[in-house]
Amino acid sequence: MAQRAQWKGFIKFGEVTCAVGLYTAASTSDRITFNTINTATGNRVNRVFVDSDTQEAVPKEAQTKGFEIENGQYILIDPEEVAATIPESNKTLEVEAFIPCSDVDDVYFDKPYYLTPDRLGQDAFAALRDGMRKSKVAAIARTVLFRRLRTVLIRPHGNGLIATTLQYDYEVRSSKKAFEEVPKLKIEGEMLDLAKHIISTKKGEFDPAAFDDRYEDALAELVKAKVEGKALPKRKPVAVSKPNDLLAALRESAGLSKKGSEPKRAAANTNAGKDGGKPRRASTAKPRVSAASQRKAS
Amino acid sequence: MARPYWKGYLKLSLVTCPVAMSPATSEAEKVRFHTINKETGNRVVSQYIDSVTGKPVKEENEAKGYARGENDYVILTDDDLDAVALDTVRTIDIEKFVPANSIEWVYLDTPHYLVPNDQVGNEAFAVIRDAMKADKVVGVSKLVIGRRERAVILEPRDEGIVLWTLRFGDEVRPEENYFEDIEDEADPDLVPLVQKLIKQKTERWSPDMVSDPIQESLLKQIADKKKALRSPKKPAKAKGQAAAPSNVVNIMDALRKSVASEMKTKRSG
Repeated sequence: MAQRAQWKGFIKFGEVTCAVGLYTAASTSDRITFNTINTATGNRVNRVFVDSDTQEAVPKEAQTKGFEIENGQYILIDPEEVAATIPESNKTLEVEAFIPCSDVDDVYFDKPYYLTPDRLGQDAFAALRDGMRKSKVAAIARTVLFRRLRTVLIRPHGNGLIATTLQYDYEVRSSKKAFEEVPKLKIEGEMLDLAKHIISTKKGEFDPAAFDDRYEDALAELVKAKVEGKALPKRKPVAVSKPNDLLAALRESAGLSKKGSEPKRAAANTNAGKDGGKPRRASTAKPRVSAASQRKAS
Repeated sequence: MARPYWKGYLKLSLVTCPVAMSPATSEAEKVRFHTINKETGNRVVSQYIDSVTGKPVKEENEAKGYARGENDYVILTDDDLDAVALDTVRTIDIEKFVPANSIEWVYLDTPHYLVPNDQVGNEAFAVIRDAMKADKVVGVSKLVIGRRERAVILEPRDEGIVLWTLRFGDEVRPEENYFEDIEDEADPDLVPLVQKLIKQKTERWSPDMVSDPIQESLLKQIADKKKALRSPKKPAKAKGQAAAPSNVVNIMDALRKSVASEMKTKRSG
């Protein structure tokens, strides 16, 4: 195997130990970056680190880390030193528990690693893999990994295992809380049947590997238009389905009522349909929601 | 619900409803380190200076520049960027449904929580969510997040929807390179033994399994320091240098102890 292991150690379940390696399964590719420009001069800007009080540049060697205990009071401590307090450990992913696959809360997933056996550990490795697959469980193991005590979730994948590092409890926001203000509506009857029918017409397979990012091209187009002094197209307001029209929109989506047979309603929903990259007809209906929506993410 | 960081629309065929999205994970609860100037004990902050004049740049003069060539930038405002000709900037149009769990976990990148953002859309949102639940499917769509158009999947969960961005094909390394040398089948005598062990050690999932003893210990140390520092007030200048060495030592000892005991309990348990 040409790849370099990110970590080498052992996996232990019960009294069985086998030598394994962890290999990065996914990397993050670069997104488009912009340069920060000073609009007053048109020049690029550089980032410098200055003392918040004296405004003077602070050289690298004078920088240290600290945490704030009170306004402006810090305990000086280097996170590297914190990391160093972690015992070097026995390099063993010890399985502490198995959990039913149906119990796995994927929101905790952080980074996946391929987990493979050393030449000598093949038998034990294969037995663990097949046993877990048959029992429909994943394993929870904990060890010092990349300088922190981490929990990983291990599950069979093809002929190997994948170990996914899990986020710490305080890093995951509770979905219960996030969803508590959503009104409890239970959809039944015709509405549900129509929606299920629409789903059945759109069922298929999806291969994430075949997906293409169109953003870079679209951005280049936008820049070209701007340079040529063309007015940038204003985004059309999105027509929202009104509660009274929901059933009709579902019927129409399901192909149970002809387009145009209900002139007003059909017009309000003309911006539906397949995404062909062509400009869409402007909606004649007044959007119920103002165009205040915008991306806050950067 | 935390402040949403994206607002837009969820669309299934002719049904459209306003939605808000926020990340499911957060760094907010993590103990945060700041960069400190050793000599003065003050915070170190980042500042932008003009690369030619060397003078600090006012915040209102900072803009995003798209590099067209050497030293040639096209300034783009947020409004400009919002006008990029992709409907996926603002609308999550569900194009396809696939069986739940049919997307490999290795493609799951970042989870978000999706909720209705206006009363007008509560019912439409619920229809889409409940139909996916009833059919045991997840929705597949795409969405522009962080200057990339991402493939996303929508999983119904309780009253809301979890939206996952998916990794790109070239971000996931081909598993064959890693798994091809591993035995296809285990020794049939061993598997039942492993299954027996699995049965003995099977537990329900609990967030206790992902606690962080280092963080817990740090938090305790900070609380103790706060208490200790509250009584004798020292001049701020001297504190940084004078107090540092002893603080560091104490914390390190405490951390070492807490980690060691954590590892011990885990082993014995």
